[in-house]
Amino acid sequence: MSMRIGSGVARAAGLVALTGLAACGGGDSPGADEIRIGAIFDLTGPTADVGTHYADGLRGFVEWTNRQGGIAGRTLDLAFQDYGYDVGRAEQLYSQYAQRGVVAFMGWGTGDTEALRLRIVEDRIPFTSASLSHVLGDPEEAPYNFLTATTYSDQFFIVLDFIKERHEAAGLPGQPRVALLHNASPFGLSPWQQGGQAYAAQIGVDAEAYEMPRGATDFTAELTQVRQSGAQYVVFQNTSGPVALALRNARSLGLDVTFVCLNWCANELLIDLAPEAAESVMGSMPFAPLSEEVEGTRDIRAYLAGEGISLEETSNAFTQGWWTMAVMAEGIRRTLESGLELSGPNIKASLETLDEFDTGGVSVPITFTADDHRGSKGLRIYIVEDGAWRPVSEFRAVATDP
Amino acid sequence: MRSGVFHTSYEADMGLRTTPPERVRMALFAVAVLAFPFVASPYWLNLANQIAIATVGAIGLNILTGYAGQISLGQGAFMAVGAYSAGLLTLRVGLPWGVSIALACVITAAVGVFFGLPSLRLKGLYLAMATLAAQEIVEWILTHWTALTGGTEALVLPAPRLLDVRLNSDFGFYWVGAAAAAATAVFAANLFRTRAGRAFVAIRDQDIAASAMGVDVFRYKLMAFATSSFFVGLSGALLAYYRTIVTWERFTLDTSITYLAMIIVGGLGSISGSFFGAVFLTLLPVGIGMVGESLQDVMPGVAGVVPHAQQAAFGLVIILFLVFEPRGLAKIWANVKDYFSVWPFAYRT
Repeated sequence: MSMRIGSGVARAAGLVALTGLAACGGGDSPGADEIRIGAIFDLTGPTADVGTHYADGLRGFVEWTNRQGGIAGRTLDLAFQDYGYDVGRAEQLYSQYAQRGVVAFMGWGTGDTEALRLRIVEDRIPFTSASLSHVLGDPEEAPYNFLTATTYSDQFFIVLDFIKERHEAAGLPGQPRVALLHNASPFGLSPWQQGGQAYAAQIGVDAEAYEMPRGATDFTAELTQVRQSGAQYVVFQNTSGPVALALRNARSLGLDVTFVCLNWCANELLIDLAPEAAESVMGSMPFAPLSEEVEGTRDIRAYLAGEGISLEETSNAFTQGWWTMAVMAEGIRRTLESGLELSGPNIKASLETLDEFDTGGVSVPITFTADDHRGSKGLRIYIVEDGAWRPVSEFRAVATDP
Repeated sequence: MRSGVFHTSYEADMGLRTTPPERVRMALFAVAVLAFPFVASPYWLNLANQIAIATVGAIGLNILTGYAGQISLGQGAFMAVGAYSAGLLTLRVGLPWGVSIALACVITAAVGVFFGLPSLRLKGLYLAMATLAAQEIVEWILTHWTALTGGTEALVLPAPRLLDVRLNSDFGFYWVGAAAAAATAVFAANLFRTRAGRAFVAIRDQDIAASAMGVDVFRYKLMAFATSSFFVGLSGALLAYYRTIVTWERFTLDTSITYLAMIIVGGLGSISGSFFGAVFLTLLPVGIGMVGESLQDVMPGVAGVVPHAQQAAFGLVIILFLVFEPRGLAKIWANVKDYFSVWPFAYRT
């Protein structure tokens, strides 16, 4: 009995030690020559496949910039943690970093970006995330959110235009029939609910949306439904992992359609996961893959070479992370160069001066204005040929603004 | 030294806190709770608020699972019902936040009863599957009934105000959260001294025997679902008004499992255990994350593993509790109290 009680005390002491440990991670303020930026990454959650590369890219840019002497002589101090795609955890980390004096915040998912939308306005902290939900680009709804890449809705519009053109060019009869297979989440439904459904009807494309359940190990049921609907084109709004699985299922089913990936599955990871099934899949990519030797990937290649990381080990999510951070850094640079105090509102104002900001051919030039935070409104369509993404179109802009 | 707790009057027997040490501890705790927001930073207030909301939810789940023995994997769904009801009643009907929260609790209780109906026939694992279905069904309805819930887009609620003070600030909400957690704890502690509460425990321990003793098993099972869901709905509604943004991604199966872990680690069938569990599982990822972050500069290799270790630690903690102290933190706390109350002796008689 006494043993039990004694060990109970020991265990209680362990608990106290753990909470004490947590307590010591208090708020140290950034030094005068530091620029503190907060970030959350998904390294372990359901979107960790692309999340890890995005995180590497974002951190890579920070390291690279610091090695070049930082921004106006000040180093970037990136405070980050994995949040495992957990909204509550994202809020905790945000609040922790806000207290530690971050001047900008880099988010990740649609759910957490939505959840933090009002908090960042209150704290006046500019926020860029990997969520490209259309509403986040509207300063009336989300004044401190900035979208560096083409929104999911815009990507879907461009893909629908592209499909319609190809359909007509090939002289096929009737309206093109499109199935949107999407992740079962706000991220997945975003292009459909935020204008996609209406746009398809407007330009004369027959479109249906199908859900890809999370954590599924087989999509044969969904794909059978797609086949029965007579769809000729399947557009994926999901991350590489589930899409690679769906593509393999589709090949075994013998589904003869054209596949198009939006943003988060249009990457090298998809080819790694399904080398054969990914062949001839098309993709909308707001950021060029690393294999493309343009001005905007030169620093990235140099950085990766220096770190001893081969291009095959990473993906264009790396480019996206790198350039998303680079655009935020540009806002910070402009603030410092105009001699203003480095505060949220000033960085926001500086970002809104970005006019046709050149990313070296990686994406369309980026423009923010006071009433439009959708930075880029165009992208190129790529296709997988011999295990690599190759462009099939020049940069295409959103045809109309619905 | 005292050899036990003996009551000499009915009043004393009915007291919740009867011994002087209990009263002193309670008073110290109350003072700490009242003083905390004046010394804590907004970050720690934010954590405290999460703990308060989790405490309400965990007590709710403990009423159903810990006391009445009905396992539920639908916690996330019931919290979502509470959050969405509170939000929609304000946004679509225009009710003030207090009324919305109160009605949201009642709506969640009704939904809880509905999904509790299978408990008439199902027990144990089978009931777990039925409540898992509740989780999936509610999630599906919330994301697909676009006309009502706005689909996957988040609901944005107006900030709750009381006499022109905004209550969803970290400081302001602390008082709402702490009051709600305290009220829930007092209600639950008293519940198990009533006929209904005793009936819940009787059903948990042996439903056939309970039935033979005249307990209307089905009625009390449904009552357990209703009471539990009422508080779970309250925690969801509080969360909605604290964050003022409601997204269903916050209320997935992961949430249900986290809450189950909370009451297992804290102590099944214990009010204080629900609180301990809420504290522990809110701070565990924070603690591990901080260790990871401090290792980022020192040992970059190790830091890369930390996020994954965090997932493993969560599971490990639950396994360790099941092995070494199935009755959870509440039992450990009881052991500590016993240890000091009989010190320097090892045990009572």
